[in-house]
Amino acid sequence: MTLETVLQVAAGGLLMGLIYALVAAGLSLIFGLMDVVNFAHGELMMLAMYAVFVIWQASGLDPMLQLPIVAAMLFLGGMAIYRGMIARALGVQFNRGMVQIFVTFGLAIFIRGAAQFVWGGEFRSVTNTWLSDRSLNLAGVYFPLPQLAAAAVCLAAFAGLLLISRTEFGKALEATREDREAVALIGIDRDRIFALGWGLGAGAVGIAGVMLAGFYYVGPNVGASFALIAYVTVALGGFGSMGGALVAGLLIGEVEAFTAVVLEPSLKQIGVFGVYLLVLMFRPRGLFGKL
Amino acid sequence: MKRRQFIIGTGALAAASRAAQAADDVVIGVVYPLTGNGAAVGLDAKAAYEVAAKIINDTHAPIGVAMGKGGGLDKLGGAKIKLVFADSQNDPQKARAEAERLITQDKAVAIVGSYTSATGATISQVTERYEVPYISADNSSPSLNQRGLKWFFRTGPHDEMFTKGMFDFLADVAKKTGKPAKSVALFYEDSIFGTDSSNVQRKLAAAAGLPVAADIRYRASSPSLSTEAQKLKAANADVLLPSSYTSDAILILKAMNEIGYKPKAILAQAAGFQESAFMQGAGALAEGAMSRSSFALDADKLRPAIPVVNGLYKAHNNKDMNDNTSREITALLVLADAINRAGSAKPDDIRKALIATDMPGSQTIMPWAGVKFDETGQNTMCNPVIQQVFDGTYKTVWPFDLAAKDVVWNVGS
Repeated sequence: MTLETVLQVAAGGLLMGLIYALVAAGLSLIFGLMDVVNFAHGELMMLAMYAVFVIWQASGLDPMLQLPIVAAMLFLGGMAIYRGMIARALGVQFNRGMVQIFVTFGLAIFIRGAAQFVWGGEFRSVTNTWLSDRSLNLAGVYFPLPQLAAAAVCLAAFAGLLLISRTEFGKALEATREDREAVALIGIDRDRIFALGWGLGAGAVGIAGVMLAGFYYVGPNVGASFALIAYVTVALGGFGSMGGALVAGLLIGEVEAFTAVVLEPSLKQIGVFGVYLLVLMFRPRGLFGKL
Repeated sequence: MKRRQFIIGTGALAAASRAAQAADDVVIGVVYPLTGNGAAVGLDAKAAYEVAAKIINDTHAPIGVAMGKGGGLDKLGGAKIKLVFADSQNDPQKARAEAERLITQDKAVAIVGSYTSATGATISQVTERYEVPYISADNSSPSLNQRGLKWFFRTGPHDEMFTKGMFDFLADVAKKTGKPAKSVALFYEDSIFGTDSSNVQRKLAAAAGLPVAADIRYRASSPSLSTEAQKLKAANADVLLPSSYTSDAILILKAMNEIGYKPKAILAQAAGFQESAFMQGAGALAEGAMSRSSFALDADKLRPAIPVVNGLYKAHNNKDMNDNTSREITALLVLADAINRAGSAKPDDIRKALIATDMPGSQTIMPWAGVKFDETGQNTMCNPVIQQVFDGTYKTVWPFDLAAKDVVWNVGS
């Protein structure tokens, strides 16, 4: 294995890892806030990708310019899902845990089916964007521009999430996470915080979807393979921890890339799940978990 | 004379009374992935079978293929073929359950399927158990007909025949251009299709004295194939031989391009590379890629029925026939022809008629010599062609006497 190969593989793992991290961030945020695992997370990402494709096809608007539009759409969509379904699921008296699982699980299957109904089972791609099919060559190591842009946006999104946590709303979010009953006593509208949390979570995965659409195919099942990795990322980084999601995403990206080199590509998930099991054995709360 | 007239008379009477009875529909089960990752292919397949059923059942001007005169199965009193579709979701266990349901509840007298070889393997176990013919239209794994099954019939080529065609092409193109390929890279997905395909390629590469510079088995539907692309780049073989379904085919071309690598030649084991979604998704990156195919849309001089059938398919599904859909249409026509010759909708009679099938290539829309099954149920007369992408469409480049375009061969230049 040459040095060039090692560096190229590391670069690929890094860029993919940042995408994994951003997909996982939204999932982690929602889970940390209200102990609900959103099984429709990958499907929200898929919807964002289709939104990019549809807008691009209709208007030719570059995915980079669509970023605020689609992120806002997903933000509102996330809030609507909370108001319409999750808030109701939280209110049931019996088997609340089960209801919460099945409501997002059902939503995932519904969205996937609806996407296939509306757009068909075809794989589609956004082509001829500003960045598509271009790469930055640094001393023989290639950085594809769409993925580089995705990495930059991902880091910016994490910085944004960090900034939000410093605001009044962020403090309310943190307080609600700590004790959802007590916050009501000091005048925080728990329902509103939850809804905004869902909006942020969906918005984050929407941003990931937009950036991904710049270099990845779109299809009704595209969310599934990313969602699986996102669950591992969240558990590895620690439930509810943003920094944990970032570190775990990068770790998974690199482990996956190098397992494919050292073992064989068909076994790359073995590396990912191997690390995951090790962390669970020695640190069940995840790398940065507060539980 | 009287006796003979009497016999003719009663024969005519019997025929008339049979026609007068509303002939029962002949139910054929069709198992494909209609949802999930294979849905794009499955829904095209559904459209293809509907067109084939239309050719068999409807009244229309005669088309130059088997069962092309329309009006149903004449030897069964004009009975119509009725298709019942089932969704395998590309899952071998669901395919097994659906096949069983089609036979026991819908009373299907034959099953047609099923795109992926993994689902074909489980469906054909069910049909064997219930003693119903399984017509494999597009499962291409060579192991499928080597399991001693009595009810398995494959109208199309399997990967060994395909792969042999690919290596014959490599030998022919070396002779023609004087620039032989000196190494190959295998790149294949990790289910039955990719594994079987790579086994044959490894064997034939050794036989042809071609070193295998890279042998990469990858996980299907991975989020990223960038490491795999890097391995291919490091090996830099003359010819890349991918065995991939659609999403992986798009992804590997993008991943190779992203790291500034363009293989000198890509010669694909069809599958994803022959899908219209691949062409749309890969765009300009697909230019110059070659793929084996069992079908040549541009061979209309040899097979005048192609434009007619393609017109019907296009009207129905708004796209041209491809490697898969043409094989699917052919499979149903071959099956319907056998049922008609059997003059019976009993599975046992259909099987006997299938074994006796001897259809010349001119009765099909394929560039094949014909349809004739050996004792394992494999059609031995379906020779493949090699096609290459020119401006976003596949053109036949080999066999050279069938070629619509001269092959663009960048190896050794």
